[in-house]
Amino acid sequence: MKLIDLYIQEVTRRLPEELREDIALELRSTIEDMLPEEPSEEDVKVILSQLGNPAILANGYLDRPMHLIGPKYFDVYTSLLKIIIPITLTISLITLIGKTIVTSTGEEALYSIIFSIVSKGIWQLLITGMQTAFWITLIFAIIERTDKVRDNIPLTMNFKKWTPDDLKNISYIPKKKAITKIHVFGSFLWTAIWASVYFNASSLFGIYESQSDGFKFISSAFNQEVLFSYWPLVTLVIVLEVAFAIYKGFARQWTKKVAVVNALLQTTILVAFIVIISNNELWNATFLTYINETAQYTEQVKNWAYQSIIVTFVIFTVIDIIEGFRKSRITKKYF
Amino acid sequence: MSNLQNSLTTELRRGTLTLAVLSQLRTPQYGYSLAQRLESCGITIDQSTLYPLLRRLERQELVTSTWDKTESRPRRYYVLNEYGTETFEQLKNEWEKTSQELYLLLKGENHDETN
Repeated sequence: MKLIDLYIQEVTRRLPEELREDIALELRSTIEDMLPEEPSEEDVKVILSQLGNPAILANGYLDRPMHLIGPKYFDVYTSLLKIIIPITLTISLITLIGKTIVTSTGEEALYSIIFSIVSKGIWQLLITGMQTAFWITLIFAIIERTDKVRDNIPLTMNFKKWTPDDLKNISYIPKKKAITKIHVFGSFLWTAIWASVYFNASSLFGIYESQSDGFKFISSAFNQEVLFSYWPLVTLVIVLEVAFAIYKGFARQWTKKVAVVNALLQTTILVAFIVIISNNELWNATFLTYINETAQYTEQVKNWAYQSIIVTFVIFTVIDIIEGFRKSRITKKYF
Repeated sequence: MSNLQNSLTTELRRGTLTLAVLSQLRTPQYGYSLAQRLESCGITIDQSTLYPLLRRLERQELVTSTWDKTESRPRRYYVLNEYGTETFEQLKNEWEKTSQELYLLLKGENHDETN
């Protein structure tokens, strides 16, 4: 008898209060109907195994989904996760990188700053990703349970049933022509990284000397005042880059227009880069003397280094521009 | 039978369970008597499916239930009401139509094979 009581308790504790007594009574009389006179414990076990797992039985009475997110919401749910998680990850990574670089005092070496970004970054991305996934899942689980219409017909992104008109919102984009979300987020990330580095260059790059108590910052490589003096130009490039990344995000594929804008932007960046790097005051005098002393640094080497940096930059810019136009010419193919 | 065949057979039978249960509720039945009647006709239905199904049919207002507590063991009797009888008749017609169509389809298949 003990087993039967326990079984009924296992079923009813999963049910709402008002149903418990009634269902318990019916279950008990049914089980007793099934049992022979003077049942043994074995008999009881046979009957209870026929009734099966109490959780499943209770759920049958509840008529409530046993899944967190069902077929109706699954597609919208996964699509939203794929859109929102990369955005939150990018924002949190950009914030972290910006904060770490800006608060660096110049006391620690560049590699220790990078190490701190990587180690903190992995942890922070994990937490941000889990947080985002958790809240989205929670919201959908609540929607699923409050939805009275349980028809299991998958919904589209506008939370309505699919109609052929939904196809009009989709553009056919060949893979090689597409601008992926990762590419767009990568652009944001890149802008955030170089901008934070640029405005803190003097405390990041320089000469470090190995000493007994670790590395010591001897001299900065750059003249931060010179770097700051170009702030209108640099800000212009940042704004243009961010605007172009957003534009690419909306265009979603390489068109002639995107390629032209890309060419203009890349040329602007190139010009800005050459203007800044050509400034003779850019490098810190202490830094130059130090280099002169340690390495055989002649005027010739300096010119050679300058020229090769500029040529490399020009080559990469040209490749980038051509690549943009090439992708924009890929024609649509329908299969 | 393989796992796949088992699950396909279960799937095939699942839709007919409601019809089978409704057909036996023209006269009042309690849980165990209903299970026995179905079993004697070769219809297997999980106990854990049957009792919740009866409650659902009651919620859907197809059957009405009453407790009979006069005997030594209290029993909950379920019986078709007017709406339930009407629904059952419609389901029955639908089933007969479907099974005839399916019969023709399956017979056609046999016919093709012999040719």
